[in-house]
Amino acid sequence: MPEPFLELRRITKLFAKVAANREVSLAVRGGEVVALLGENGAGKSTVMKILYGLYRADSGEILIEGAPRRIHSPKDAMRLGISMIQQHFSLVPAHTVTENIILGNVHGRIDWAACQERVRLLAEEYGFDLDPAARVRDLPVGVQQKVEILKALFQRARLLIMDEPTAVLTPQEAVTLMGFIRQFAAAGHSVVFITHKLKEVLEVADRIIVMRDGEVRGDLPRAGTDERELSTLMIGRALPPLPEEPAAPSARELLRLDQVSVQDARGVKALDQVSLILHEGEVLGIAGVSGNGQQELCEAICGFRPLASGSIVLDGRDLAGLGIRARIGLGIGYVPSDRQKDGLVMDMSLAENMMLKSSYDKKWRRHGLLDRARAARFAAGRIQAYSIKAPGPEAKVQELSGGNQQKLIVAREVEAGSRLIVFDQPTRGLDLGAIDYVHQAILAERAKGKGVLCISTELSEIFALSDRIAVLYRGAVQGVFRRHELTPGKIGLLMAGFRLEAQEDAR
Amino acid sequence: MNAELRDLFLANLLAVALGLGASALLLLFLHKDPLAAGALLAHAIVRDGYTFADIFVKATPLILTALAFALPFKASLFNIGAQGQFYLGATAASAVSLALGDRLPGLPALCLVGLAAMAAGGLGGAFIGWAKARFQSNEFLISMMSTYVALAGMNYALRTWLMEAKHEYPQTDSFAPRLALPRLLEGTRLHAGFPLALLAAGLAWLLLYRTGLGYRIRAVGQNPNAARLAGIDAGRICTGTFLLAGALAGLAGLTETNGVQHMLVQGFNPTLGAEGIGIAILANANPIGIIFAAILFGALKVGGLVMGQMSGIPASIVEIMEGFVMLFVILSYFVRGALATRRAKRALQRSLAA
Repeated sequence: MPEPFLELRRITKLFAKVAANREVSLAVRGGEVVALLGENGAGKSTVMKILYGLYRADSGEILIEGAPRRIHSPKDAMRLGISMIQQHFSLVPAHTVTENIILGNVHGRIDWAACQERVRLLAEEYGFDLDPAARVRDLPVGVQQKVEILKALFQRARLLIMDEPTAVLTPQEAVTLMGFIRQFAAAGHSVVFITHKLKEVLEVADRIIVMRDGEVRGDLPRAGTDERELSTLMIGRALPPLPEEPAAPSARELLRLDQVSVQDARGVKALDQVSLILHEGEVLGIAGVSGNGQQELCEAICGFRPLASGSIVLDGRDLAGLGIRARIGLGIGYVPSDRQKDGLVMDMSLAENMMLKSSYDKKWRRHGLLDRARAARFAAGRIQAYSIKAPGPEAKVQELSGGNQQKLIVAREVEAGSRLIVFDQPTRGLDLGAIDYVHQAILAERAKGKGVLCISTELSEIFALSDRIAVLYRGAVQGVFRRHELTPGKIGLLMAGFRLEAQEDAR
Repeated sequence: MNAELRDLFLANLLAVALGLGASALLLLFLHKDPLAAGALLAHAIVRDGYTFADIFVKATPLILTALAFALPFKASLFNIGAQGQFYLGATAASAVSLALGDRLPGLPALCLVGLAAMAAGGLGGAFIGWAKARFQSNEFLISMMSTYVALAGMNYALRTWLMEAKHEYPQTDSFAPRLALPRLLEGTRLHAGFPLALLAAGLAWLLLYRTGLGYRIRAVGQNPNAARLAGIDAGRICTGTFLLAGALAGLAGLTETNGVQHMLVQGFNPTLGAEGIGIAILANANPIGIIFAAILFGALKVGGLVMGQMSGIPASIVEIMEGFVMLFVILSYFVRGALATRRAKRALQRSLAA
């Protein structure tokens, strides 16, 4: 058997509070696609960041083609032929594709024409359709990812690490990416593909390494394994399926968006004449590739962003002119997609975070001061009801795992949203256990007769929860459908901007 | 938690000791005996009640200007203009004191003077906050530059309508004796301003950590996005916080004019604002910590004065001492962080081995 291109031996990495990797050993051979599968926080990204020189391991060895190597920085890694495509791209938006690709790889006088030509040839070789002179900020996310990949190819990467590469792609773009990965591996190179999506793993990987709690729990060839085995390895138990409840939304209209247009921060139209209706006891799923107006839709409903035109009506009341606080008062809850940036104050305690939406409320006041005992009691109750794993109500939120942070927000917003709850990417970055919990919570609120707007880029989530599904593309609604009217293939086309023939509007 | 508290005390103590030690080394370069200087200092402070009490006299305005930096700092806003708000307060306090003369009994008169000082400083502060909320102007720059406006305004007043009757120097006449803040200890300069500053620090702590407004100030400071999405009006918080900060700095104007000088003199106490910033940072913007940090700075100032009386030691040694102490305290902040991380890692390693 030939020497593996890369071998990690007993890598251990400790952060202050957690052991991110414990004695992780794995090998990647040339021409092989390895999927690194695991829940968030399982240590997948950490071990790859060690390999890429972003973190330093507390112990363990890295061997490249059999020789022990020290990798202290991404520069060292690239010299050894290792490239990593991060979840958040490291491109300069104002620069052209060529400029981005040669950044840091050229010295002295730059022969622009030659560089451009090299980039063009490279793109051609892998069938990437992109203009080397285009500015990165004008490119859609999927194409930006190709620029990142080209950057790695330009540096003659032999091992490409991709961290959750499909998270930002449409289903069709994901298929193209898989094609590239196969082509790259066929040339004798290696790919490590970090993901928590089982379907992708079975599609593209030759071998699957499953991680849980910072350890390798399984190292299996694709042939001879299945989703059930992998998910059990990944989460340590089997998941109960979501109940297939008969959708029985009442006919009473709760929320109506009428021809709503909104501009984003740069003054570009982010929502274009959006009309939607949500009934009591209904989950309306909003599908779409991220960045197609989802955030602006949420912000328009919550009062964070003014409408350029159109109207939003809740319970028969026009929301125009009402601020965020007034709308919270009307019973609108909002679970934002970026929970740490928009939903939590990380340095405050759980109890304090539970008060965030209701800090003006008299119930927290006693003799003019905050009734901290009451806040703590309330938070303790929520911690129990939502089985949030936390040392106590006075613990700081930053000590919690992502899943538990999300549960805290859900607990708060369910409380605040007595009529309508807007969930934006409610399970992004969560592990399967937490995802299941949040999904159950959403269905429980629907059963209480509240209206739920569920925005997600995960089609499985949209299909699992929604009574009706609307697809957003470039700020416009591509259509509203009952769940059974759509298939993943159809919805993929809608998300990519195609319209279905003989489209039926289920409003 | 206990280990962290222990670290905090030890690290701060060590930092102060190192700062003093480094300053002592500088004395050696001047061919002065640092031990003798230290002994003289200790002697002066212990023997002489006047010198000892002066530490708290010096600490009084520092507590207030430090609070004026700390409150907005908790909302992630930078009030670099405490000096200007202090001048506004001092000018207003002097104007009202001179206008009142002997017309009102002491306590109500002093209350009026105090309110005027706080109102003047508060308005100056609120303007900065309002400009930030309304026009997204940079509060750092506006507060810093507004200090010069306040200073020029004060100088103008001292050359015109507030100028002493003799029209000789840019200063006011002495206030009526009843308008002096009451002495606390005979034979010292310690006045009622010190307990007032302590009270202000206590109230600031209460505001920040025990009221809804303080909670919102901290929420806006730590995560403005989340606070806004929760319906908190960051603009109002900004204006309100700056108003409170200005009022606190204005109050320092009262304690200095009516507590120490009993008149307004051009360009007095020109470093209160800057020192307040240092003290607030030293205390990590905690109002209670500010009390101790301000007393430390008061002690350094008094110590510098005493040392300056020794032949051949420049009085500016005190600024060097302040600088060294600050430097080491800020360094200790990072050392503490590293220690905490290492402790956590050790505990983790032990639990993994077990």
